[in-house]
Amino acid sequence: MRWLAAALEWQSRAVVGRHLRVYMRNWHTAFLPPALEPVTMLIAFGLGLGGYVASLSWQGRPVEYMTYVAPGLVAYATFMTAMFQALFAAFIRMRYQRTWEGQLTTQVELAHVVWGEVLWAGLLATMYVAIVSVVLVAIQWVGLLALDLRWLPALWPIAFVAGCGFAALGLCFTAIVPTIDHMNLPVFLLVLPMGLLSSTYFPLEHPVLVALNVANPLYHLAQTFRAILIGGPVGGHLAGVVALSALMLGVLVPLDLRLLRRRVLGD
Amino acid sequence: MPALLDARSLVKHLGGRRVVDGVDLACETSQIVGLLGPNGAGKTTTLRMLYGFLRPDAGLIHVNGVELGRDLVRAKRAIGVCTQDDTFDGDFTVEQNLTIAAGYFRPRPVDLRRRVAELLERFDLAGYARAKPETLSGGYRRRLMIARALVHRPRLLFLDEPTTGLDPQARMGVWDLVAGLRAEGLGIILTTHYMDEAERLSDALTVLARGRVVARGTAKTVLGDLVGEHVVVVHATHGAAVAAWLRTRGRGEPASVLGAWHVPLSGEELAEFARAFPALRYEVRGPTLDDLFLKLSLAP
Repeated sequence: MRWLAAALEWQSRAVVGRHLRVYMRNWHTAFLPPALEPVTMLIAFGLGLGGYVASLSWQGRPVEYMTYVAPGLVAYATFMTAMFQALFAAFIRMRYQRTWEGQLTTQVELAHVVWGEVLWAGLLATMYVAIVSVVLVAIQWVGLLALDLRWLPALWPIAFVAGCGFAALGLCFTAIVPTIDHMNLPVFLLVLPMGLLSSTYFPLEHPVLVALNVANPLYHLAQTFRAILIGGPVGGHLAGVVALSALMLGVLVPLDLRLLRRRVLGD
Repeated sequence: MPALLDARSLVKHLGGRRVVDGVDLACETSQIVGLLGPNGAGKTTTLRMLYGFLRPDAGLIHVNGVELGRDLVRAKRAIGVCTQDDTFDGDFTVEQNLTIAAGYFRPRPVDLRRRVAELLERFDLAGYARAKPETLSGGYRRRLMIARALVHRPRLLFLDEPTTGLDPQARMGVWDLVAGLRAEGLGIILTTHYMDEAERLSDALTVLARGRVVARGTAKTVLGDLVGEHVVVVHATHGAAVAAWLRTRGRGEPASVLGAWHVPLSGEELAEFARAFPALRYEVRGPTLDDLFLKLSLAP
């Protein structure tokens, strides 16, 4: 269990601190995408597509499409932020910037580098969700949404846990793809289908998709956020998020370490 | 007082091949140990095990009295590493690279601000403190790499080909810095392909070939043991006769460089060679580490 203990050691925090320092240096540009993306998406999907959809049924009661899609957007932001950090940013640090190699010549070990990447992706996803939360408050204030915003901060720790799980999944691909161009494969074969077929932007009722989504952490995340912000039973889907994230971390972080040991250390 | 570095019977397999096979290595305070060998000899793998990047399959490594396999983090506190390739953090300036690197060590380096200023001054980097490392010349990048390896005040420094790709002036600048570090009490393990560098800087050499130590000692001892006392340089047009003479002595074909054969001989053999080829024009010179590399490269 040495690999698990590494998550709590100071070296992992030092790696996260390094990433945070780089990010905060460019805060004015770094905060822009998470603030603008939900606005664009809500306009495109909410006002555009929503004009044709009118209202949907959620937990047996009608909700406006804008209100339905907003929590899904937050879940989608969590997923995409964590995955893209683990896929592209981590790959660039590993392969092109050789940041990892520099860190490994210090008291930092590979397990800390991996946990540093996972925790950073989780933290960044949480920060994005916090920014999106502020945007949702603003949009609700102008009367375009009808969410229950009292429990909005409850989304953040859930986003952190799920973001860490998604990052563990992303790092598997970082460990095996030969070049950054090959990232197209996980993006088009996994990230985009998973991002769109998880009841994030629209409900999916096809029995096959419903069955598949039982094991889909993003689906449970979207439904948990929806239950919190629209009102509904949270327990089952929240348990799904926690269980599947724990499973991803428990199974995939050791796998990441094994694959990256070979790739980075040549061992 | 234990040696700064004491490595015994190191073995490492990579890709199913025994890359390092029973290597011993030691380094004391204020000593530079040159680790030499042709490509594929196992130098980098040995070095990577010594600074904790790779785990040996067998053998023990003690750094400053701490067994690396037992307490890697504590052992690494005493180690500074300058890798062969530039691995500085491109997201930060020269000065920030030093502070960021210091953050990867516990206990934290005391009086860090002064330490960073001191290193910037000493390595002539003060004028580039706010520059990004990629804007520096090759020589100054190397300086930054060495300065970064020293920010936490290690006792043992690993320099993996520190001057590869540098112009002569930059190389000599790095040599001065390395010699200064030895004078301050650092133990240094140096790998290099430049023979003059190894001869000038190293107090002791360890020569690897095919994963094993084939010689160790001063440059003179190593050369005497592995190459011979003299090297006869003869034009290749006379090669057939010389080759036939060598064959009668049970020797294989010597190294050929730019149309000339370089034949290592003992004093006795040189006298016999002179008697065997009285009319031949040739040059006799002392052996160098280049001869050693050529010999090791030709060895089956």
